[in-house]
Formats: sequence, C-alpha cells, structure tokens
Amino acid sequence: MTIRGKTAIVGIGEVPTGHYPGRSFIEAAVAVCEQAIRNANIPKAEIDTVIPIGVVSNPLDNANVVCSWLIEELGLGRTAKSNFQIMSGGSSSANSLKTAAALVLAGLSQAVLVVHCDRMGTGLDLNTAITMFAKASISQEYEMPYGWSQLALAGMLQHRYMHETGTTERQIASVVESLRKWAALNPNAMLRTLKTADEVMDSPIISSPVRKRTMNVLADGAAAFIVTSAERARGLVPQPAYLLGVGSRCTNFTSTMQPLDLMEAWKPAADDAYAMAGIRPADVDVAEIYDAFPTFILIGLELLGICKRGEAGRFVQEGHTSPGGRLPVSTNGAMMAQGHTGAGGGVALLVEAARQVMGQAGERQVPNANLVVETASGGVGMDFHVGVLGREV
Amino acid sequence: MSGYNKPLPLITQLSKVFYDGCKANKLLYQVCADCGEIIFFPKQTCPNCMGHSLEWKESSGRGRIFTFTVTYDYAPPEFAADTPYALAIVVLEEGFRMTSNIVESDLDAIRCDMPVEVVFDPVTSDITLPKFRLVGRTE
Repeated sequence: MTIRGKTAIVGIGEVPTGHYPGRSFIEAAVAVCEQAIRNANIPKAEIDTVIPIGVVSNPLDNANVVCSWLIEELGLGRTAKSNFQIMSGGSSSANSLKTAAALVLAGLSQAVLVVHCDRMGTGLDLNTAITMFAKASISQEYEMPYGWSQLALAGMLQHRYMHETGTTERQIASVVESLRKWAALNPNAMLRTLKTADEVMDSPIISSPVRKRTMNVLADGAAAFIVTSAERARGLVPQPAYLLGVGSRCTNFTSTMQPLDLMEAWKPAADDAYAMAGIRPADVDVAEIYDAFPTFILIGLELLGICKRGEAGRFVQEGHTSPGGRLPVSTNGAMMAQGHTGAGGGVALLVEAARQVMGQAGERQVPNANLVVETASGGVGMDFHVGVLGREV
Repeated sequence: MSGYNKPLPLITQLSKVFYDGCKANKLLYQVCADCGEIIFFPKQTCPNCMGHSLEWKESSGRGRIFTFTVTYDYAPPEFAADTPYALAIVVLEEGFRMTSNIVESDLDAIRCDMPVEVVFDPVTSDITLPKFRLVGRTE
C-alpha cells in the first residue's frame, strides 16, 4: 500500500514568531488552531484527533496539552476520540505528519489537528536555555564532563563539512543572507532586516567556526495544521496540499555517534520520499529545508540531491535559493531568521511548505509551487525526514 | 584544593569500569566476543548481535580528530571561566569514537584529521577524565 496522494493538509495557522511576553501559551495555541480550522473550512466536529507537539520551555504547559487542554479549549469534547503527544524535537513535524496521515488512511480518524506552541523566547532565561540544551541529548556518562553545547555541536558539524567539501565560511554566511531575504517578506518572522554575507562574517566567533550571526535565536511561536483524506480535502478547499511522499532515517542519540557519512546514512530518506512521490530532485519547485544552523541547509540541499556533494555553498552564494532564484529554499526564513521555537522549527517549515502549495504565501509566494519538499531533523541531528507536498495527485 | 565545579560523569555499574580504567591511566572500550563488534560508549548488550559477552580492552589512546570546535562564548555556565576551550570528536585507532577536550595544545593549530593521543586528567580524587592532545605539537 502506498500513501501517495491519499491525504492532504487542508488548513494551516501560525502566529508571529518572536518575543511576546504578553502572549500567553494558551492564547497562541488556541489562535493557531482556530486559524487552521477556519483556513480548512472544516466543521470542527470532524476533527477527532488532536496531536500537541512537545513543549520545551514549560513542563506544566506540556503536561496540560498532554492532558487534553486543547480539546477543552476548542470545544471538541463531544466528538474527539484521541489527544496524544508526539515529540521528537525538531522532527516532530515529520513524525506527526506521518502519524496523522496513517490514522486518516486507516480510517481511525477523519481529520487530525497537529499543534505546536512554545515560549522559548520569553518563557526561559538565556542561561537556563543554554544549560538545558547543553544537557539534553548527550551522554551523561561520557559527554557531559566536557562543555558540550548546541553551539559547539554546530561548530563541529560546520568544521567537518568545510574540511570535506572546501566550502568557505563566506558561502555559509550567504545562507543567512538568503534566509534574511525571505524573512523580510514574512510578517511572521522575527529577524526581518537584511544581512549581507559580509555583515555576517563581521560578527564575532562564538564556537568556531560558528559566529554570532550564524546562530539561531530562541523565540516564542505557534503553528498548526490539519490533515484529512484527499477526497474530503477536495470538498473543503480549492487547493489542498496533497501528501505525495515521505522518507525517514533515525540513526543516533548523541553527536559522538552521528554517522560520519551523513550522505550514506540519510540520503535514503530523500530517495524513499522521491520514490513514493514518483518524482526526481529536478522536479522540485521549492525546498523548505530544516536548518537550526546554516550548514544544515547546505547538507540538506545535498541530501535532497538538489546539489552535488560540496556544491551547495556556491549554489546559495550565487543566489539560487533567494527570492527570485531558481530554487527557493526555506521561504519563511527558517529558524535562522523566523526564529527557533523549540520543537517548532520543523512545524513552521512544514506549514510553510503547505502554504506555498496552497498558494497562500503572500509576498513570498513562489509561482508554480507545484512540488514542494520539506525536511526535518531532531535532537543533535539524530534523524532526517523528507516530505513531498504537491498541488496534484 | 579548590573544588571542581564542572559536571562529573554519571557513574553506573558500567561507566564505573571505564572510569576505574581512566584512574589507572587506561582507556577502555568493549569488544563483543560473539560477533567482534567494537563498542563505545560502553553497553550491556551488543548493539550488533544483542549478545552479552562483552569484553573490555585497552585502547592505544591514539587517534585522529574527526571534527572540533573552539568555544569562545555562550558556553554552559560551569565552563564559562574556561573559554576558549576545544571540544573534538576523536576516532581512536581501534575504530571507536569519543567526544572530549583537546588540551595542552595550540587551539589555533587544531585541524580535522590531525593525530592526537590521550592524556588523563585527574579532576577529582575519584574521577579521571580522558582528554586528548595534538601529537608532536605540545606547547
């Protein structure tokens, strides 16, 4: 059995990402659910499953969404069958999409609402955030004593990538330039001022070779999407975002044990997604690539087969991924410019992929966004997921 | 002596064997007697064949730097006073990998694939941490 073209995203919702101390957790969470329901034109009684993604900034908010807070707030208590959490960090988008599609395909759900909400910008102070990220997803026995951090992880990934491919720091800085150009067109993005690669290169080194301007910024944010059957989708909205293919690989817990050759380990996820969708990399119109750090966008371009190994830096530097370029990449600005919302970076990219397919991306709408790929990765880079959304089945 | 205030490794039945080794200046890893799998981090069950006949071996302590970073800022709070410091993923000659610090070396000289050797740092009376230095480039 293939899942190709049998389910679709029919509704999306998102609030601006940034620092919003006055916006409560539940206010943002309900707002994006309501937007998604209205966007889908779906009677809310059809939503029989709610999947809240894990909340990182506040254990109590997380416990409460696990315990059906949103079922009560949205008035779904007479019709809902299940509320349960999916959490795999940055790849929660992909795992919730797969789960939602499978539930719909199996006939166990009519429509599934996936919600992410977190307050990483104002719900945590910086030291708590650094400490938390420095201790999660590392070995307490063998890695903890050495001063590991997410920034150190990004530095190690970038050094090896530059060493193996000859990619320059300036080319990596140009990823930030491209993402800022997209964010400038995205009213929900946090960092909307343009930054040139030169300006990025002028910022101080934090954990070599990662610089201040090649770090992401923690932010508050929320987004939601609704998955239903392709048949039902056609009756709800003029242009559903059909789910055409998915592929996944999950390889490791710690960064020490991340496969040394990511192309060998993770490219099969892209190959699987393309095979299921019946497309080739050359068919892709837009790529919403998960970042966390800019090097990951370059590795993503190569894993997706859009660039040959080692050529992604030049591709970005030449402007092909920017607005007006031949392959728009991460058109919401991704975590580097839209903001890092905990487990929500992948959800924001998935919602952006659906938005482009549905033709609802406003100023940054890519013409003829017929086939959009999106990626996600969780933990320290523990897994890699690829999804293909399209306008036609 | 001044108190050591950085995180110490979690000591379990398994990690105790490893850290007892470090205290005796031996870098230990495991080999599965059933399938020959080289195992590190230490495990109770072979991740290849799920066997339980895991044997401890002593590593030469020599390897190469797969990748590294030098942290200057935004370090975890306990390490803030130590900046700049170097972290690296080291691939040992026997084929297993560790994350550790590069010490006793010119941090600006570190490059991927450089050879390193283990040095043992007794950070407390109980715990000795294995760290690495560049070979032939000690300051």
